[in-house]
Amino acid sequence: MVELEMFQPTGLLGGDIDMHRPEDAEPTSNGLLGLAPSPLVSAGMLENRPSGELQTSFYDTTEQTLVEEAFTSNGLLGTTQSNDLLQSCSPLSQDDSLPNVSQILREYGNPAKSSDIPADSLFNGDSAAERLARISIKATTYDGKPLYIRRKREIRRRDPDSSSRQQQMGNLLDVPLHRLMDQLSLTTATKLANPENHQEPSRAKISQDKLWVDRYRPRVFADLLGDERVHRETMAWVKEWDWCVFGKKKGKKRARDDQDLDYNDEFHRPRERILLLSGPPGLGKTTLAHVVAKQAGYAVFEINASDARSGQIVDDRIRPALEAGAAVGGTKPVLVVIDEIDGATGSGENVGGFVHKLVELTSDKPRKKRGKKDPSANRPLLRPIICICNDLYASSLAKLRQHARIVRFNRPADIYIVKRLREICENEALKADSRALTALVGVAKGDLRGCLNTLQFVKARNQEVTETTIRAATIGMKEADTSMTSVLNDLFSPMSKKRVKEAGLTEEEETRYVDRLSREVDGSGSTDKVAMGCFEHYANLRRHDATFSRYEKANRWLTAYDHLSGAMRSEREYSLMPYLSYFLVPFYTLFQERGTPKVERPKDDYENYLKTKTNEEIYQSLSRCLRLACGRRGGDYRHLASEQVLRLEFAPYINRIISPPLRPVNRQVIRPEEKALLSRLVDVMVSMDLQFIQDKGEDAQLVYRLEPPIDVFVTYDGKRTSDISASRYAVRQLVAAEVEAQSIVNHAVAVDKYRNSFAPPEEAQDESRGDTEGVEQDGKLMRPYQLPPSRVPAKDTLADIKVDIADRPPVDFFGRPITKPIAPSGKGGSGSAPQTKYRVSYKFHEGNSAAVRKPVKMASFML
Amino acid sequence: MSLWVDKYRPRTLDDLHYHHDLTARLKSLAASGDFPHMLFYGPSGAGKKTRITCTLRQLFGAGVEKLRIDQRVFMTPSRRKLDLNVVQSNFHIEITPSEVGMYDRVVIQEILKEIAQTQQVDLNAKQRFKVVIINDADTLSRDAQAALRRTMEKYMNNMRIILCANSTSKLIAPIKSRCLLVRVAAPSSEEMQHALEYVAKREKFTLPPEASQQIIEDSNGNLRKAMLVLEALKMQSPDMSGPLSIAKPDWETYCHKVADMIIQEQTPQRVMDVRAKFYELLSHCIPPTVILKTVAERVVDKVDESIKADVMHWAAFYEVRMRVGNKKIFHLEAWVVKVMSLYKHSFYGIELDDFED
Repeated sequence: MVELEMFQPTGLLGGDIDMHRPEDAEPTSNGLLGLAPSPLVSAGMLENRPSGELQTSFYDTTEQTLVEEAFTSNGLLGTTQSNDLLQSCSPLSQDDSLPNVSQILREYGNPAKSSDIPADSLFNGDSAAERLARISIKATTYDGKPLYIRRKREIRRRDPDSSSRQQQMGNLLDVPLHRLMDQLSLTTATKLANPENHQEPSRAKISQDKLWVDRYRPRVFADLLGDERVHRETMAWVKEWDWCVFGKKKGKKRARDDQDLDYNDEFHRPRERILLLSGPPGLGKTTLAHVVAKQAGYAVFEINASDARSGQIVDDRIRPALEAGAAVGGTKPVLVVIDEIDGATGSGENVGGFVHKLVELTSDKPRKKRGKKDPSANRPLLRPIICICNDLYASSLAKLRQHARIVRFNRPADIYIVKRLREICENEALKADSRALTALVGVAKGDLRGCLNTLQFVKARNQEVTETTIRAATIGMKEADTSMTSVLNDLFSPMSKKRVKEAGLTEEEETRYVDRLSREVDGSGSTDKVAMGCFEHYANLRRHDATFSRYEKANRWLTAYDHLSGAMRSEREYSLMPYLSYFLVPFYTLFQERGTPKVERPKDDYENYLKTKTNEEIYQSLSRCLRLACGRRGGDYRHLASEQVLRLEFAPYINRIISPPLRPVNRQVIRPEEKALLSRLVDVMVSMDLQFIQDKGEDAQLVYRLEPPIDVFVTYDGKRTSDISASRYAVRQLVAAEVEAQSIVNHAVAVDKYRNSFAPPEEAQDESRGDTEGVEQDGKLMRPYQLPPSRVPAKDTLADIKVDIADRPPVDFFGRPITKPIAPSGKGGSGSAPQTKYRVSYKFHEGNSAAVRKPVKMASFML
Repeated sequence: MSLWVDKYRPRTLDDLHYHHDLTARLKSLAASGDFPHMLFYGPSGAGKKTRITCTLRQLFGAGVEKLRIDQRVFMTPSRRKLDLNVVQSNFHIEITPSEVGMYDRVVIQEILKEIAQTQQVDLNAKQRFKVVIINDADTLSRDAQAALRRTMEKYMNNMRIILCANSTSKLIAPIKSRCLLVRVAAPSSEEMQHALEYVAKREKFTLPPEASQQIIEDSNGNLRKAMLVLEALKMQSPDMSGPLSIAKPDWETYCHKVADMIIQEQTPQRVMDVRAKFYELLSHCIPPTVILKTVAERVVDKVDESIKADVMHWAAFYEVRMRVGNKKIFHLEAWVVKVMSLYKHSFYGIELDDFED
């Protein structure tokens, strides 16, 4: 297309070459400026373009700049008319002397360009208008419609056939055609011989008003670079809204979406009302969202990281925008794009959070519940929302993921990016070899935006794109973020050939590893984790290390690392931090080997940490038991509860103490020595608050579990030590019942002691203590017990805390005892009853809550 | 009814079974009215805490046995909340600052100041001062010890401090110089025998002399451990007859297993296995220094005379490193690898060095 314009004003070549010998046209165009995109590409791009729009494809803009450059660079057009130019050209050719090639080039290039100037100068302001006036003749030869002509090549192609061509021919007749052809081929030849020359004019001025990223941002769907399927998926989702938004029915060709048929929405919306685009930066997620929205006929309403993103924003901005349906002053329906949503505030369970509100917005439930009462409260979502994030698994997005259709972006194959970059370089008159571009893409890890910025930077410094300049420009980009596992892999295996190539290292540089690796380790940001990874991995390697010398060295480095980091933390000398990474680099020399298995993420240490935490908690509960027992029953266990003693001495032996060899027999037929053993065991267990609790095991069998589960301390490698006989279910049941009984007795004793402390002394003496005889029947326990005849309650004391509220003497609001007037005519006549009463308590064994399991006096049922 | 170890614990100075000269000294100190700061030190299970409580009782009478147990909440400068169990009577307070780890300085500063600044209000109290007992004083961080030293002098009027530690080597010199050092040595085997027999007599069973001998040997001067073993033994085999097997604590058995593994085989695979065992021990909250010590002692028993010194040297070396560092497992493994390498060298002779690549 560009070469077309170049030749058309001459009227001579435009028709001929382009129409009849297209193969000639291409070398010519290249030879002229080296800038033009191949006609095939441009044609393909142009087809998609709506004819009325001015700036749709990025090729338009390139043309503009191209024209400007060509125009201003030679400075001729400002002073002379194009006719003069042509005349100045003709004497040269008539003289038959070989002209200066670059001169010819300019002269050819410029009149060619001048035809387009009316179109461009519309945008160029006053001076352009002047030019327009000056060269308006040519503009009028194109039916006075240069804008349209420029876009529609068909018209233009046909034009030369019409009268306008005749006119131009007249102007140029004094230059014979064959001579022009000669000159052209000459130009081409010189151009090829001397490639530097042609760049000068275009380089003279660089338009610096726009970032390349913006200039070459795809504006139509077909321009998008990357995985086609991703684009189509996005488009398809947006199109699914058509029925809802535009009222159109689904097209016939969408018959394959049958799977959605079972989903009926009253507004014919897609099932997921949010689209979540995720992927690494620079691949064009935002661009895709905008392009798709535009292509589908929406106006984009964007919220990004520059806006506050609290839950409030959803209510204040997004909801109104969605409910209004169209942007202010526009007619197109609105589509909300929420960019960088993974940085939204209010993550997790926070109800007021952004994501939560957003999800709420998409669900219709609140509306259905409220019905007609408050129709304005929550109107259904009728416009699409596209969210964009880098990290799909950010914690803040956990809720959104379930409600959104997720589209993942992947890095497109390098060749496509390189191809696009090369096109852009050509457009920008930047000389680039594909090796350099491949290296650039490799370094940027597919980040197209990064690539473009780098290229522009290179261009701004008037450099050629070679590998060295790319290296120089991307130093910072290189190891910007390295994950822990990749660092570990680099430590344990030499660089792959590909990486070496990408990084463009020489042989010598490749062997220098200290700097590279230490930087990498630092870059990972978690040196400690890398150290842990080294530790967990090194012993898997070098199995043939006969003298352990490598292992020794590795361990020396590790311990030195830990020594330094420990000292650094305790002394708070964090300026030592940069040195830490050097302690891990030696693993490279010690263990690097090709083809070793990939390093896994270190996990043993964390698992161990979790286990330790659990066990620590058990120890803590045990020591709490001890302390409580100490406080309650006057025992002096607290010296046992100190950490070291508890763990090293007490825990192993208490396990042995509480597991005597008992036979699972009925306690009525138990032998006397066993009975003594049992009662001793029960005593110990009760005094330390140890219990057997009935529980369901993994295989749904009932088991009695020790609580707190201190038997883990004699369990190593998953099995108990052999010298402690595993007590069987029946034994534990027996013990559990006994412990239960005993604790109730203790309870009662404590209560009675408390009561008796206020009772007359002679009565307190006939209290029987430690009575373990009880009538027992599976969970229910009835115990005859002497109730002290008189109860004189008093102020609360410490011992009172454990007393069941039901057993506490009644007091009034001020804590004064309520003395019941024992009237002989009282109900039931209990006052006249004989002095000996039986205390009966009832215990309900079923149920899940401790509230119903406590012993309750029968009296409370009688009321 | 409680455990024997608690039940037969002497409550007064007169009840104590051994170290009678020490008892006499404590008595006279308590009577003199000029009670100094004290530092009780000695091996675990020798009776330090028992002597401290007895001394307290001597000082204040039975009132010290009325105890309250509170949980106190402290705020660190970084706004973290710390819980600390505080046992106190009207006359004394007992704290274990190591419960809060590296924040022990805060505890020392807050509690001590608070007590030090209030005078004894009970007019009937026998002494004009209160006593602060600091358990596990040897685990106090350097900061906490520094916080302690000035307080000890400044508030001498209102307060006495009794420190209880296993060894004095981790206490800074200024603290040691401010205290009266009382060494509570481990009881001799006769004294332990005596104590065991006393318990047996009170529990009305006969303890066969060979059993008691075995217990004493096994408990290595730790009377508390001996009592626990005795009770465990009595529970496991009530009649105390026949061949008795004294159970070692499980972690100890396990440590010995690890030591045997190290000696049996020196391969990378074994290194990994030993590491798994170490993790198991650590997850059972066994202090890494104890692990290292136990394993090292066992290894030294088994290896050739020529490398014994080296094994111990490296154990000591890595224990120091371990205390400074964070990742205990690194140091444990480093020691294991070192020992394996030493063992290999001594086993195959020096010429192995030639094969080194």
